[in-house]
Amino acid sequence: MTMLAFEKVHKYYGEHHVLKGIDAVIDRGEVVVVCGPSGSGKSTLIRTVTRLEAIQQGRILFETRDVHARDVRLNQLRARIGFVFQSFNLFQNLSVRQNLILGPTKVLGLSRDEALARAETLLAKVGLAHKIDAMPANLSGGQQQRVAIARALAMKPPLMLFDEPTSALDPEMVQEVLHVMRSLADEGLTMIIVTHEMGFAREVSSRVWFMDQGQLLEDAPPARFFSRPAHERAQRFLQDVLRPSPRELAAAHSAA
Amino acid sequence: MFAILHDYLALFLVGNWPHGPLGGVAITLVISALGLTVSFPIAVAIGLCLVSPCRALRRTAGGWTRLIRGVPLLMLIFWAYFAVPLVVGAQVSAVTTAVCAIIVYESAFLAQIVRAGLEGLPRGQMEAARSNGLSWLQSMRYVQLPQALANMLPSMVNQFVSIIKATSLAYVIGVPELTYSAAQVNTITLTKPLQTFLVLAAFYFVLCFAISRFAGHLERRIARRRAGLA
Repeated sequence: MTMLAFEKVHKYYGEHHVLKGIDAVIDRGEVVVVCGPSGSGKSTLIRTVTRLEAIQQGRILFETRDVHARDVRLNQLRARIGFVFQSFNLFQNLSVRQNLILGPTKVLGLSRDEALARAETLLAKVGLAHKIDAMPANLSGGQQQRVAIARALAMKPPLMLFDEPTSALDPEMVQEVLHVMRSLADEGLTMIIVTHEMGFAREVSSRVWFMDQGQLLEDAPPARFFSRPAHERAQRFLQDVLRPSPRELAAAHSAA
Repeated sequence: MFAILHDYLALFLVGNWPHGPLGGVAITLVISALGLTVSFPIAVAIGLCLVSPCRALRRTAGGWTRLIRGVPLLMLIFWAYFAVPLVVGAQVSAVTTAVCAIIVYESAFLAQIVRAGLEGLPRGQMEAARSNGLSWLQSMRYVQLPQALANMLPSMVNQFVSIIKATSLAYVIGVPELTYSAAQVNTITLTKPLQTFLVLAAFYFVLCFAISRFAGHLERRIARRRAGLA
């Protein structure tokens, strides 16, 4: 069953053509990883899904409703699409607990107790039950991002969007966040993930989208995308990101 | 000078109270505090209009604050002196008039402080709140305003200082505030205007300096808390 459909989506920033006719469909339960060089329009693409960015042409259908239609109930729509940001964006004035219950109580109309029970379950799931009273400023980046994921999940959204969720993290914190995302994929949650973590993409995704200069060049299962990408541009991108770093080369060398 | 201070301390501090109306430092502080407390919610409302997505609201609020900020307070006080009784349809005391003028004036200044405080927050806070499904107003109320107001606290206290100095203008419509007390003392002593008004200056300075120091203290505490130390 189709969850999200892009139909000839175009976006411009003034003269700059950022999305050039995106056509794609995502079914329920799919995990789509969007990759591509920076400035290719990946983040812009997922930001158009919840109308954080406007589009100038085409349609985006979420559960068959036109997201950019004038009469759409925007807040109800956003409550059904979780969004995780690169820079976490936890509410700085609120504790972890309040971050997690604000949306459920104010938007979904849950009682405080119901919302709190939900918050505790989710915090336990991301391994941060002991941080429920902490303020965001006192958490590490990895912890903040896991709370941000829990905050999005607290709305019980059928679709989750991740905008480079690990790009702002120190290397040792990347895995704890990817681990949480992997468990969500295992539960069958529909997700679109913009990321440069190619190992994660290979293991977890059901499809990989490759974008370049505002176009969706490749839409393939990970096995095919990583072994024989169709476009020359995607081949070069993979060579660049998969090329081992000088440190890894040195380590391999000394081991041999 | 100290003789003046000694002889007329009560007049400087409370005016002719308890035999007459409350005056001096006391009424200056009452007018200032009342001005600040009443103008604060008005300023928040105008400030919200200034950053609202609705263009008509933004334009109106912007025009209003520019208008008020482009007019001397003394003119507003005169204007209120004649306008407020007309609007209310009854005699209005000079103190009430002064308070009304100060509220109108200060709310325009405070509104710009509120706007700056809201615009100074990281954009991600609003995006995250809206992505969570909160409406614009809810996101302001629960996420942005609390952060902006905490950041604004020092500016607000400094604004209180400027209100205290501004109340001296209420002298012209006969409000028995601190400057009025000094003028009274001057009429009694007759030959010592320089000393009398130096005492007046000292009163204002002590009040304002103390409050500025308090603002500085708040500022440092907020900075420490933001660094995650408190």
